[in-house]
Amino acid sequence: MPMSGYKDNFRDDEFRIIGKPSVEQQLVEPSEPIEPRERRKWLPWLLATVALLVLVLLALILSRRPKEDPLDGVFEPAEVVAPPPETKVKPELKLLGHEPDSTMSFTGKVDTVINDIPLSIYIPYHATPELIVGAPDKNDESIIFSAQAADIRADNYNILGAFVLKGKPLAWGLSKKGYCAIIDGEITVGVSENSPLFEKATETEGYFFRQFGLVDNGVLVENELKNKSERRALCSRHGQIFIAFTNTPESFHDFAQALVDLGVDNAIYLVGSRFAFGSYIGPDGERVNFGEGPHKYKNENYLVWRR
Amino acid sequence: MPKFITISTKTELLRIPSEILMYVTSDGNYSALYTQDGKSRLVSLQLGQIEDLIGEYFEEDQSPFARLGKSLIVNKDFVFFIDISKQTITLSDWRGHYVDKTASRQALTGYKKALESDAYERI
Repeated sequence: MPMSGYKDNFRDDEFRIIGKPSVEQQLVEPSEPIEPRERRKWLPWLLATVALLVLVLLALILSRRPKEDPLDGVFEPAEVVAPPPETKVKPELKLLGHEPDSTMSFTGKVDTVINDIPLSIYIPYHATPELIVGAPDKNDESIIFSAQAADIRADNYNILGAFVLKGKPLAWGLSKKGYCAIIDGEITVGVSENSPLFEKATETEGYFFRQFGLVDNGVLVENELKNKSERRALCSRHGQIFIAFTNTPESFHDFAQALVDLGVDNAIYLVGSRFAFGSYIGPDGERVNFGEGPHKYKNENYLVWRR
Repeated sequence: MPKFITISTKTELLRIPSEILMYVTSDGNYSALYTQDGKSRLVSLQLGQIEDLIGEYFEEDQSPFARLGKSLIVNKDFVFFIDISKQTITLSDWRGHYVDKTASRQALTGYKKALESDAYERI
């Protein structure tokens, strides 16, 4: 099991050589963070220059005689207020939605607009994700969110791409690089041709499916499909999992860019269009259906959250 | 003797000679270690924990391993190509197989400089 409580603060825009500082480095620069060699090579010169400048400044100050200012004592010396140095602070990513105080299970909904694209964000609370094959029962009150997951093939209605249902592989293949794995009730979203989480899902009665990748570690994934449709995506952002819907027809590129701009770390596509069936139960306990159907194709499959 | 990166849990022990460990990727709370022989192994440690563990084996100026962003550790001995514009780093097992991994522009730029500096120092 993963170790809990471990906090990894490494950022995506950083790199570092892995290793302990050598003895020489510890003597010269005991508290210097690990940095590329090119920068360290200049450090002694930099230190010498700074020391020289400090000495020159000290000599200047000591040799200067204090000047009398005729306005001293009459007016307060004019105070030059220097503008504060510009600091670029990365905005802290806040979790979307409002974490409910209660343990009630429901789906929170947040509407926002990114790059002129109206998005609805659905956040399931206090519920466990899983995949099901076959249409969800509209009267099943345990399901607080459902949306179609993997595509099914138009020719034989088999599931497109690798798919694991409660540890049982139902389909194999790598037509799409995005993946979602549910291991011990925890969702992992990623983009990779070869994810060992497929095997892990088979070993742990977990779930796995593939879809188009949209965002890979904060980087937009280009897809060849150029048409526009109402899009849906499963996203992870700052550890939070949610589902994003566009409320207008959008291209893959524009949708993925909007997710990147929203701060999403990883995202994969979910079956979209205004026809794809799904539903959610909001904080008022009312079920809202979206799309049409279900169509009841034999392998129509859904990502659901159960309370 | 090769240095073995050793990962031990209550019931399992994983040993990988550091010189055949090509790269490590993050899968949420798990990490996948990929070796030159084309095998991979998933362990229930986060990438930062793997980084700490590798760091115990090497001094920085001797280490072939670097962390690039949140999701990738690479062994420079397998780095074949860095394309900053496409944000990709291509690793080769030097036996005809290549794999592309993505990383941020900033991380790749820094790593490219470090590899350049490393190359010049050895000339």
